[in-house]
Amino acid sequence: MTDANAPSRSDILQGTLEMLTLKALTLQPMHGWGISIRLRQISGDVFDVNQGSLYPALQRMLRRGWIRAYYADSENNRKARYYEITRGGLAQLEVQMAEWDRSSRAVNRILRFAPQGG
Amino acid sequence: MAWYHALHTAFNALAQRRREERQMADEMRFHLEMETRWLMSEKGLPEDEAKWAAQRAFGGVEAHKDAVRDERGTSWLEDLVQDARFGFRTLRRRPGFTTVASLTLALGIGASTALFGVVKAVLLTPLPYSRPEGIAVLWSSWTGFDQTWLSYDEYEEWKTDIPAFANVGLFSDGAVNLTADGESERIRTGFIDRDILPILGVQPALGRNFTAEEDIPNGPAVIILGDDVWRSRFSADSSVVGRTIQVNGRDRVVVGVMPAGFKLPLDFGADGPTRLWVPLGTNAQASGAIEGPGFQQGGGNHGFYSAARLKAGATLAQANAQLADRVAKLTKDGMYSSDRHFRAFAVGVEQQVTGRLKPILLVVFAAVGFVLLIACANVAGLLLVRGEQRRREMAVRVALGAGGRRLSRQLLAETIVLAGIGGTLGVALAALGVWVLRNTAPAALPRVAETRLDPLVLGFALGVAVIAAIIAGLLPAMQATSVTPQTELREGGRSATSGPGRLRWRQTLVAAEVALAVVLVVGAGLMIRSVVNLFAIDAGIRPDGVLTMRLSTPAAWYPDSIRVTAFHDELRRRVAAIPGVSAVGFVRNLPLANEMGDWGLQVEGYTPPPNQGTPGDWQVVTPGYFEAMGLRLREGRFFDDRDRMDAPPAMIVNRRFTELYLKGRPAIGTHVRIGGANANRPQYTIVGIVDNVKHNGLTREVKAQFYAPQPQFATNPGNTSRSMTLVVRGTGDPMRLVAPVRSAIRSLDPRVPVSEVRSMTDVVEQAIAAPRFAMQLLGLFGVLALVLSAIGIFGIVSQVVASRTQEFGIRAALGATPQNLLVLSLGSGVRQAAAGLVVGVAAALALTRTMTTMLEGVTPTDPLTFVTVVAVTAVVAVGASLIPARRAAKTDLAKVMTG
Repeated sequence: MTDANAPSRSDILQGTLEMLTLKALTLQPMHGWGISIRLRQISGDVFDVNQGSLYPALQRMLRRGWIRAYYADSENNRKARYYEITRGGLAQLEVQMAEWDRSSRAVNRILRFAPQGG
Repeated sequence: MAWYHALHTAFNALAQRRREERQMADEMRFHLEMETRWLMSEKGLPEDEAKWAAQRAFGGVEAHKDAVRDERGTSWLEDLVQDARFGFRTLRRRPGFTTVASLTLALGIGASTALFGVVKAVLLTPLPYSRPEGIAVLWSSWTGFDQTWLSYDEYEEWKTDIPAFANVGLFSDGAVNLTADGESERIRTGFIDRDILPILGVQPALGRNFTAEEDIPNGPAVIILGDDVWRSRFSADSSVVGRTIQVNGRDRVVVGVMPAGFKLPLDFGADGPTRLWVPLGTNAQASGAIEGPGFQQGGGNHGFYSAARLKAGATLAQANAQLADRVAKLTKDGMYSSDRHFRAFAVGVEQQVTGRLKPILLVVFAAVGFVLLIACANVAGLLLVRGEQRRREMAVRVALGAGGRRLSRQLLAETIVLAGIGGTLGVALAALGVWVLRNTAPAALPRVAETRLDPLVLGFALGVAVIAAIIAGLLPAMQATSVTPQTELREGGRSATSGPGRLRWRQTLVAAEVALAVVLVVGAGLMIRSVVNLFAIDAGIRPDGVLTMRLSTPAAWYPDSIRVTAFHDELRRRVAAIPGVSAVGFVRNLPLANEMGDWGLQVEGYTPPPNQGTPGDWQVVTPGYFEAMGLRLREGRFFDDRDRMDAPPAMIVNRRFTELYLKGRPAIGTHVRIGGANANRPQYTIVGIVDNVKHNGLTREVKAQFYAPQPQFATNPGNTSRSMTLVVRGTGDPMRLVAPVRSAIRSLDPRVPVSEVRSMTDVVEQAIAAPRFAMQLLGLFGVLALVLSAIGIFGIVSQVVASRTQEFGIRAALGATPQNLLVLSLGSGVRQAAAGLVVGVAAALALTRTMTTMLEGVTPTDPLTFVTVVAVTAVVAVGASLIPARRAAKTDLAKVMTG
């Protein structure tokens, strides 16, 4: 896969990736790789994105004030950049989850009723 | 301290940018390490395999970095600095391209900036008057005189009876000798009535204007100083007001000092400004006019300049309509003879000062705009070529994840850096140009020497640079970023020919360049022809090798004409003794420099038609003048030392005189009386006929002229010419004679002031200064345009040849001769040039119409000029194509097919 094709896919995934990241960060502050491994574990490797895509997303959320970054010792005794969710981030997560809920219910309804309706 | 703050912020931003970059790199490396260790421990992969897998799962590090950078939402300043630095680096790698492109832009920006400076100084900077739009200069005109002086009766009439005028004033000009600290200086002086300064809306910087009591004939002797005289002769001493100074050997009291830069409305011409002002001190009686509301036949003697202030709300058109009505009524009443077509008119002061230069400047300014466009097109062309060469680089960068917007921004930044370099060089060029202009601008071009590189002009340069960058950079940026890596990278090492679509843009550019160049070169060609025509006009004199300088013999030291004559005779003798001098004489009015007026004559055997006089333009000379100025004798003799004061009065006339007044009769020996009916004085006898001299302008109609010897004219009709111009003919450079002639004058009388030291060639050149100025600039721009278009054509043919090398190789293999290949590759450049020629000629035919008033002896659609320009442009186009095309003809088969 070349990156030239990436934009279309990442556009769709962008929002989802942000929501999942915010959700993961509600448990505890994590560094980038930590988030990445957590997402894979939770999704059972279904959500196996290009790992590097996480970082632009993190940068975006930093800029929007949904998360905060700080430096702390990591498990291998090296300083690492940790991210924690902010109050703004929590609010955003609420909004996104409600949105997701609504749209996924709509999608589900269509998937369930479309054949009879057609 | 705003700039300091901005700089501080910029530095902070740059430092922070570097820190962020480091943190980002650390973070991503950390991620990869963690992933590798995790893969090794959880999945049991060996280290190198784990590393590889981690790398693959992460994706392109650089692409992600770019994405993060994009998400940072950094300030435009950081982006600009980064992009500019990137642009600078890329440009440094290609010094040849960078030099050509930035020099091209520098030429365009420099030329347009310098010229904008001129336009600003001449047309945009208001005249030094209050509300100049409400000031008009008044003129009279009648058959043979397009624009001439007013009479006192007319002044009174217009002042009281033209409702559109709030006030009307009179002035005239001349020169006086100012003596201070034993040193005399001849200074041009304005004679102004008390209303002139209020009409212009200018007050003295020190002291006051003349009062009504001072502005009367033989009134109190007062004077107002010009700023430069005040500074140079009185050390800017403000106590000078009230002091008595020596003017023409008599006392005058200084009552005021004018602000710097003040000039009278007619002071912007070749004679230089007046720098002292004395009261005109005239009234109806002193001017030979009828006192009160009376008006004499023909208006009386016409000898004054006049300025008027319009009433608030009144327009120039109203004033002119009212003047026309008034004159029509006076003519109906028999005050003006109807067959002389008398007219009075008002000209707005701005039109008066710069009206003649304005069309020329606008044409030249448009021309410089064309040069700028050509330069932009050229740089765009160069960038497109580079874009071709960089398509693969662009494709790779797109493949690596660089966004299209970012790429175009970087390309544009490159162009902006180019334009920055070009702009800086351009301002340097403009500074040089302005310096040259200030130092060489003919005095006859009003206000051109006032050109400065002020903030507005520099701002213009900046604006032009930015616009140039956008014009030159937009197209290449659009083209370059439209690459699709899939096709571009698939094409393999040997890239195919440039697609026709991409080439078409460059070809259009070249055609446009050629079209613009054709218009410019046609303009230049027309100007050259017209200046050549002006030079070819026979002025009736031989200016080469002639030195002129104005001398005056003030009444205080030379109370009568006998002494004046003695001074002239002795100085002629001394100057003639200088080695290298072949002839020397004096003349009252220098041809092409000082306008000549007329006297009414009575010519023996000639009766003028009813209501017409027998006017003759008068010239007073000493022996030696004709030889020194190089007039051609047709019949009879020149003046010589026979023609003394007490000798029988002798006169020389021009051929026009004989054609008008002596049709078919022998001229020599004919008697002529100068001025009115004073029958007591002896008549002049014509002793010689000379060829016409174009005294009042090379393109003006020559009128009947007569020459009288200075000592005889002084008593008959009686006018001692105190201010005369010394005319010296020598071998070689006339300016080399200045020092010896000056020392001859000093040894004779050190008090006599000298001014207007010029070579006669210089005087003639001043007379055609405006068309020459236009010719030189248009010529320069025309050459620039040709060179730039040649570079453009060279570029496109080179590219076409380079991209078709394989094709040529195949053709050669199939039996094409080098000639075939030459013709084939020439075609691409020549076709564009031909298209450009057609469009250019059509545009030139439409545009040169605007030059009609600037041209002399050549029509705006002059076929010779057009044919020559087409030929020259075609030769340049073929020449520029030939160099790369020959390379194609020599295509080495083996190299192409194996390489």
